Amino acid sequence: MDIRAQVSMVFHLDKCIGCHTCSIACKNIWTDRKGTEYMWWNNVETKPGTGYPTTWEDQDKYKGGWVKDGDRLRLRLQGRTEGLGNIFFNPNLPTIDDYYEPWTYQYDELFNAPEGDDQPTARPISLITGKPMDIEAGPNWDDDLGGSPIYASNDVNLEKLTEHEREQLNEVERLVFFYLPRICNHCLNPSCVAACPSGAIYKRGEDGIVLISQEKCRAWRMCVSGCPYKKTYYNWATGKSEKCILCYPRLETGQAPACFHSCVGRIRYLGLLLYDADRIQETALADEADLVMAQRRIIQDPFDPLVIHAAKANGITDQQIAAAQNSPSYKFVKKWGIALPLHPEFRTLPMLFYVPPMLPVLGKMKDGIYDSSAVEGMGQMLNSLEKARIPVRYMASLFSAGNEEIIREVYRKNIAVRLFKRAQRVKDISAAEAQEALEIGKTTAEEAEAIFNLTSLPTMEERFVIPAFAREEAIEQSLDPYTHKPAAGFGYREAPARRW
Amino acid sequence: MTGDQSSGHCKRRHFLRIAFRRVPLAYVVAAAAFAMIPAYVTGAAQADQGSTVFATKCAACHTIGKGKSVGPDLKGITTTEDPGWLARWIAAPSALVKAGDPTAMRLVKQYPLQMPDLGLSSGDVDAVLAYVAQQSGSARAHVKGPLAPVAAPPPGDAGVGRELFVGGARFHNGGPPCMSCHSISGIGALGGGTLGPDLTDAYRKYGGDAGLASFLTSVPTPTMSAVWSKQPMTPQEIANLTGFVKEGAVSERPLGAIGKLALLAVIALVIIVLIGALYWRRRLLGVRIPLVARANMLFNRKYARRS
Repeated sequence: MDIRAQVSMVFHLDKCIGCHTCSIACKNIWTDRKGTEYMWWNNVETKPGTGYPTTWEDQDKYKGGWVKDGDRLRLRLQGRTEGLGNIFFNPNLPTIDDYYEPWTYQYDELFNAPEGDDQPTARPISLITGKPMDIEAGPNWDDDLGGSPIYASNDVNLEKLTEHEREQLNEVERLVFFYLPRICNHCLNPSCVAACPSGAIYKRGEDGIVLISQEKCRAWRMCVSGCPYKKTYYNWATGKSEKCILCYPRLETGQAPACFHSCVGRIRYLGLLLYDADRIQETALADEADLVMAQRRIIQDPFDPLVIHAAKANGITDQQIAAAQNSPSYKFVKKWGIALPLHPEFRTLPMLFYVPPMLPVLGKMKDGIYDSSAVEGMGQMLNSLEKARIPVRYMASLFSAGNEEIIREVYRKNIAVRLFKRAQRVKDISAAEAQEALEIGKTTAEEAEAIFNLTSLPTMEERFVIPAFAREEAIEQSLDPYTHKPAAGFGYREAPARRW
Repeated sequence: MTGDQSSGHCKRRHFLRIAFRRVPLAYVVAAAAFAMIPAYVTGAAQADQGSTVFATKCAACHTIGKGKSVGPDLKGITTTEDPGWLARWIAAPSALVKAGDPTAMRLVKQYPLQMPDLGLSSGDVDAVLAYVAQQSGSARAHVKGPLAPVAAPPPGDAGVGRELFVGGARFHNGGPPCMSCHSISGIGALGGGTLGPDLTDAYRKYGGDAGLASFLTSVPTPTMSAVWSKQPMTPQEIANLTGFVKEGAVSERPLGAIGKLALLAVIALVIIVLIGALYWRRRLLGVRIPLVARANMLFNRKYARRS
């Protein structure tokens, strides 16, 4: 047993309102530099939709992630020999058009235009060529189903749906969609790390944050192709690749990452997980249908004395163990089992989990008015899952590698919590019916109460359980502190730049 | 010097005065003569060093009193030219040419080959000037003279020379084939290396048999001497090479060879591009633009059918 700590994230999609505040917070802190204009370390996508970059989930095109090859994993991108052949020309890179051509506006023209009959306009200027341009795409071009005949209908996850389901969804699309905010998943088995020929990408030992060394990066861009979530980006100005750093400077000082901190809907949770590193390969090799369960199994119980003992032997501090015991991620992912990894079939073991949205909203329109009386009796409400307008299969394609039963379980539990609280507060459902719902959802009144509390009424301290980062002890494991101390700090860091 | 400073000073001057008064003048003259001995010895050694430098670095192109070779005859040069200018010229001719020195420009125009930078130290320069001055002034110059180059070279075989040039035959003392750095017409369309100058017109430029032979014996340029000083060519090899270079002596490369080279380059380019296109035939050519184009096409088709 090789217990390690991982900072893990949970996004509660039912609460996301798609305001992009997270993206802007991130942009303003990290990617407002030259060469990073097109990067969105945090972005919010509308589902159904093609996302950013366009159809990033389609690994037949982008070649990201791992493939199970017998009892071994191999990169979908390339093997060693192929990698050598492709080292000076990586054939699997997204073009800038697959992201979008970044632009600004000639704001000066609004103020300096000569007097005339027409309103002055600010023309869009490409941030790549510096010349006026026609905007053809943006980072959230299909936001709120914009251009859905082109974008939403090309969602990769729709391929698994039957013709009937597709037609159904097509009708539904006029009413229903949901948002999918994405950051780097800080995977347990990251394929970007495996794809890098320079060994520039690493996973921090003490918290599992995946980082790209700006000194070692040599611009091969294999990580850009290798990451199935397309969350590493190439900075054309510095000639280095960059990615979400989970705001580690903020984490180290006890603050939540900027996108978490600024989230308006408070959908984001962050906490430690303890996992068994010996079982990473076994987990990543699990059968597709079993991937989600395998990922739950690798996460260890932070209250188990054996686990605590092994964690301490690995240098995990008491504060970290306490944080893991108090972690909202542990509760959502393992204890309650209602948060699921995004596209586990890429086999990178992502450490960002999503609570799937409770679409559709229970209710319907009657004579143009929202009619809550349509919800009559529990039977109909419990059945709402099977009559869900967004097919379970679509969610299964996103969150469980096609295993629909897992999605159903998650929904039954979430519906049970709703019915339980409705019986308590609105009192239009009988206690017996609520009890039946709890049984169907395989949960208890206490658990439902806890899920409700952490979902709807959490404090900042409950959402973000950030342990004290014992950086000095982490350094001590690999380097004598007296060697490290004079070698780091003022005057030694260089800005990333082309140096060859 | 532990005593009082001022009184010590006075005492020393007093002592010197007494010494001058007491030491006979003859002693002083003898001492001066003795002191001049090392100067004389140094001068002789300098001329000796100069002779070595001249033989290895200069004799390839210059004579002292035997007429023009590749470069001018140096007899009496130390009296006709400013010694300071001479020193600068010998140390780094290219610097003077670059600076547009009038004498230097005249020389460049007058002689076919610009004098190379020989990498001589200032000591070497002084020594070789001393040697030239000495040789120009004395009758011995004609007796001793510079080394071998003027001796009649053995007859050379152009065929063997070609083999040596392209690396078909080895040099006796090792050393790379000429082709690795030089090109010349008559060795195939691809030619040779481009580190050194093209040797197509070398026979004329370097002063014929004698000039080439002395050049290849002494190897005066820094780049070549780095390679050849430790593994010199034998006189027979030099003769063979000279023969080959002479045979190919045309003023410029024939047009046909250049055309052939251009054709080969184009064919190679096409082959490389084809290999790349084949190897990366499944490369990603963009996703969004084709997707949008396809969707628009379908939409337009549907719309056209309805209307």
